[in-house]
Amino acid sequence: MNPIGAVNPLSASALSRIDAPLPKIGHGMLGPQTTAPADGFGQMLDGLVATVDAKQDASRAMTRKVLMGDTDQLHQSVIAMQEAGVAFSLMVEVRNKLVESYQELMRMQV
Amino acid sequence: MIDPLFQTDNYQLARKLLDASVLRQDAIATNVANAETPGFRRLDIAPDFAVQLRSRMAAGDFAKSAGSLRPQLAEDQTARSVRPDGNTVEIERELLAMDRNIVEHQYLSDIVSSSLKQLKMAITGRAS
Amino acid sequence: MNLITGIDITAGALNAQKTRLDIVAQNIANAHTTRSPNGGPYQRQIVSFETQLMRHGLSGGPSLQSVKVGTITADRTPGQQVYNPQHPDATADGMVAMPNVNLSYEMVDLITASRAYEANLAIVKNARQMAMKTLEIGK
Repeated sequence: MNPIGAVNPLSASALSRIDAPLPKIGHGMLGPQTTAPADGFGQMLDGLVATVDAKQDASRAMTRKVLMGDTDQLHQSVIAMQEAGVAFSLMVEVRNKLVESYQELMRMQV
Repeated sequence: MIDPLFQTDNYQLARKLLDASVLRQDAIATNVANAETPGFRRLDIAPDFAVQLRSRMAAGDFAKSAGSLRPQLAEDQTARSVRPDGNTVEIERELLAMDRNIVEHQYLSDIVSSSLKQLKMAITGRAS
Repeated sequence: MNLITGIDITAGALNAQKTRLDIVAQNIANAHTTRSPNGGPYQRQIVSFETQLMRHGLSGGPSLQSVKVGTITADRTPGQQVYNPQHPDATADGMVAMPNVNLSYEMVDLITASRAYEANLAIVKNARQMAMKTLEIGK
């Protein structure tokens, strides 16, 4: 599942070309995870999708355990679901902002 | 990029303590159910959980080091027997412990809850 | 789905205490019954509890156990013999065999069982409150 794929012109490699002013922002947002600010944005998006996937998997596994009666640690499932929701919502907002900025760019008269 | 959002020390600490609080509720239920079982010694969270938590907190980098720490139940060695058959459960004390546990659980839930709500608010820009 | 913490343990204890209360009530009601279906005076019933393993302890910790009713046996100690020749169940020499129910013991048992029952109820109530609070995390 890759919802960002829905915005085809914005594939990660295309973004790395408009990357010149972005490395500073990319570096700040990634914090300890980034090593190469030059391809910051593309790497960031990949990392984002991977993390969201991991959180969703963890949430699914935890919820499955509760549903099957293997555990009574209800709070772990609730918290995992909330964290997965937050991660997903972050990804959606990033996508929205990207789409907006792309549209803004396309509107500019050259 | 997302993991640092969930790594603040208080949030992780609250999650671990929430695990312990739920486990303690199990222990209290078992203690009260066995209030008359001969020779039964009351259960509680093993004291080295708190010790470990504190030491990992002091060592820094709590979020990574505390992932594997799980609270365990153990027989409460400090409880004295009030009956001739060696049973160490006193119902009044268990009920008081349960009251305290409820408040602790609600407090920890609130910490976790408000962290998550703040994140959501920051991300979506909307207050709910 | 086992969603409320510790509810299986408390349920076991509630059942056991309820049975015990029922038997105590039966004993008290029959404290003066001199003729029972199998002849002779009513014999006091005794409930004995057994521990019931609910959950194995995780990684070497103690396992969680509850209680259940083991057996309900009749107390064989003979009751008092009372001299009352007018009584319909009197023997030839005017003695009536009374049930071996001692009301003071039964009342103490009643109070103990009630206390235990109420304590377990309070636990279930609180466990449910905890679960409801958990569901509100993040909302």
